[in-house]
Amino acid sequence: MSEEIKGKILKHDTQTRTMHWIHLLAFIILGLTGIGFYWDIAGIANIFGGPANASLVHRWTGVIFTLGPTLYILLNFDRFSRFVDTISTFTRNDFAWLKTMGGYVPFIKAEHTPPQEKYNAGQKILGGLIIAGCLLIIITGFPMWLWRDMLSSAFLALCYNIHFWTAMIMILLVAGHFFLAAIHPKSRVEFASMMLDGYVDAQVTAHHNAKWFTQLQKIE
Amino acid sequence: MSTAVLNNGVIHVSDQCKACDHCTSICPTGAIQGRLGEKHHIEIRKCINCGQCLINCPFGAIDDFSMVNERIRKALDNPHQFVVVQEAPAVRVALGEEFGLAPGTNVKNKMYAALRKLGFDKVYDTEFAADLTITEEGTELIHRVFNALGVPGFEHAGPLPQFTSCCPAWVKYAEDNYPQILPHISTAKSPQQMFGAVSKTYLAEKLSLDPGTIYSVSVMPCTAKKYECDRPEFIASGYKDVDAVMTTRELAQMIKTAGIDFVNLPDERADQFIGSSTGAATIFGVTGGVMEAALRTAYEVLSGEALGKVDFQAVRGLDPVREAVVEVPVKALGGKTLPVSVCIVTGTRYVAPIIEDVLADRSNYHFIEVMNCPGGCINGGGQPIRRDTY
Amino acid sequence: MHIFAEKAGMTRRQFLKGSGLLAVTVIVSGIFAKIGIDAFAAGDNYIAQRAAGLYSLDEKMALRKSHENPEIIEIYREFLSPGEEKYLSAKAHHLLHTKYGKNIPAFIEELKAPGQNENSHEAA
Repeated sequence: MSEEIKGKILKHDTQTRTMHWIHLLAFIILGLTGIGFYWDIAGIANIFGGPANASLVHRWTGVIFTLGPTLYILLNFDRFSRFVDTISTFTRNDFAWLKTMGGYVPFIKAEHTPPQEKYNAGQKILGGLIIAGCLLIIITGFPMWLWRDMLSSAFLALCYNIHFWTAMIMILLVAGHFFLAAIHPKSRVEFASMMLDGYVDAQVTAHHNAKWFTQLQKIE
Repeated sequence: MSTAVLNNGVIHVSDQCKACDHCTSICPTGAIQGRLGEKHHIEIRKCINCGQCLINCPFGAIDDFSMVNERIRKALDNPHQFVVVQEAPAVRVALGEEFGLAPGTNVKNKMYAALRKLGFDKVYDTEFAADLTITEEGTELIHRVFNALGVPGFEHAGPLPQFTSCCPAWVKYAEDNYPQILPHISTAKSPQQMFGAVSKTYLAEKLSLDPGTIYSVSVMPCTAKKYECDRPEFIASGYKDVDAVMTTRELAQMIKTAGIDFVNLPDERADQFIGSSTGAATIFGVTGGVMEAALRTAYEVLSGEALGKVDFQAVRGLDPVREAVVEVPVKALGGKTLPVSVCIVTGTRYVAPIIEDVLADRSNYHFIEVMNCPGGCINGGGQPIRRDTY
Repeated sequence: MHIFAEKAGMTRRQFLKGSGLLAVTVIVSGIFAKIGIDAFAAGDNYIAQRAAGLYSLDEKMALRKSHENPEIIEIYREFLSPGEEKYLSAKAHHLLHTKYGKNIPAFIEELKAPGQNENSHEAA
C-alpha cells in the first residue's frame, strides 16, 4: 500500500442502518425473552412483567422483527437485490479467502488475503445464514401464536423445536458477528459505518474490500 | 388411597409445560388455567379427568395419576389376593400400536395371553359387562318409553330422553354443570363398575372364593375411569367394585417392563363365567356403539321379532353430533310402529345445547349417547399417544 | 475530502437474484404450510382406523346382540333373577345401578346400612 488514499465511502445508507438497528434491538429482546421461556428463568420473565406479559412482548417484538426487514426490502428492492447478488456470488477469491479465513482466525497464517467485494466471503456466508434463520424463525413463530388452537400437536412441537434451535444458532452467529464488527482490532472500524454515520475510510476499504473499491473508483 | 384421585384429580400438568397453550383449546370444560407463555395448571374442581389434554400435549408434559406401582403390582405380588382383570373394547384395537402394529389391529387374544403372563389369576373381559349394561340400560330405556306412552305399570321409570351413563367424564360434567339433567341419565353403572360388582359377587360364588380376597383390576382406554373406580358409592357388592385401573399405555409399559415379546404371543381366550362377549359389546369402544348395541337389543325386545340386519349405519360416523330415527314395531302396542329418535354426541363440548333443549322440553329424542372423547373410547385419554403427520 | 458512493439501481442479474430469493422465501413458507396442513389432516386418522378395527371385530363375532350372550343368559338365570331371565331385577338393580350428584351421600348410607334388603331397591 504505497499511495495514501484519501476520502470516505458511504457504505450503509440511512434506511439500511435504521433497519439494522430495529432488527438488532428486536433480536435482543426476542433472544432474552426466548431464553427466559426455554429455561424457565423467572428473573428474565419478571423484567417484562411476568411470563404472560413477557410472551406478549416476545410476540409483538416478533411482529417488528418481521415487518422491519420486509418493509426495508419493499422500499429498497434495488439495494436488497444488489446485496443478494453480492452474497450469493462466490468467486475464486472468495474460496481463497475462506481457506485462510481472511486471516481472522488465530493459528491460521494468511500471507496474502485475496481482494474482496463489498462483503468478504465470511460476511457473505453470515448474510445467507441470517436470512435463512430469520425465515425459519418467522414461519415457525407465527403458527405457534396464531394457530396454536388448531395445529396438530406434532406440528406444534416441530415449530417449537425449529424455532428454538434456529434461535440458538442465530444467537451464536450474531455473537460472532458482533465480535468481528465491534471488538476485533482488524475489523472494528466497520462498527461506525453500520451503527453510526454510515461511512468507512477509503483507505480501509481499499485494503479490506479491494474489488469493491476498484468498482467505486470506476463509477467516479 | 381413595381420596388421592377424588381430591387431587387424575390429570396433572408437569413442570415440563412449555406454556404453548394448545391444551386450553382441547379442554371441554375450561379447566386448564394459564395464558400463552404461562405454565398451565388444572383446576381440579372443573376437570372431568378425560385426559384429552394429555394425549394432545405437544411436549408430553401432562401426566395421569398411576395406580400401577401402588396398587396393581402390590396386589399381583400378594399371594393372598386373587387378582382378576377386565379390558375395555377400545384397548384391543390400540394396544398393538405400542408394539409397532397399525392402529385398529385386533390384539384381543394376545392381550389375554400377556395379562396371564403378567400374573393375573383370571383374565375376563369388560365386553361381558358391556353386554350386561345393554340388557340393563336398554330395558331401562324401554321402561322409560312405556312410561312416556302411558303404558300402565311403568310409572316409576324415569323421564325421557335417557342419556347414557358409560362415560365417567360425561357423568362428572353433568353433575358439575347440569344437576337438573341427572334424572335423565341412565341409572345403569358403567360396564367397568358392573364388572367390578359382578366379580365380587357372582364370580366369587362361581369360583367359591371369599369376595374379600378378590382384587378387581381394569385396563381402560381412559383416565376418567381411575376417578370413577375411586368414587365412594361403588360398594354395592359389599366391597369396592373395582380396586384399580390402568390405562392402555400403562399396560403396554408393564408388558415391556416384564420383557414379554407381545407380538409373538400365542392367541388365548378369556376365562369362563364373565369373559364372553358379543359384537354389540365390542362396538362400545366407538362413538355410536352403545347406541347401536342398545338398538339391536331394544328392537328385538320391543318387537318380539328377530332383527335381520344388525348394522345400524345411521348411527355410525365420527361427526361430533349425529341423529337418527329408527322405526321399531312394538308388540306391546299391537304392532304399532314407534319412531325411536336417537342422538349421538362425541365431545362433551357439544352437549350443552342438547341438554338445554331437554331442560326446556324442546327435545324429541328418546335416547342420547354422550361420549366425552372425539370418536369415542378408542380416542380416550388413556390410549397410546399418536403423532401422525402424514 | 472525497466521498465515494455506490451506484443506485440494479442490473438484470441483480434483479433476478433479489426476486429469486423472495420466490424461495414464498416457496419455503408454502412447503412448511403444506407440512402443517398435512399434519392437521393426518393427526386424526388413527381414530377412524381404530373404529374400523372395532367394527370389523364386531362383524366377525358369532353373536352380535348382547342378550344372546350365553354367559349373560346364565348370570340372569343363576344369579340376578334366579330361574328366569328378568332384566332390571331387584338384585340387578342393587348391584348394577347407581345414583348421581347430590343423591350419592344418602345412597352410600343406604348401601352401608346393615341387613338391608335387596328388594328395597325396586324403583329408582
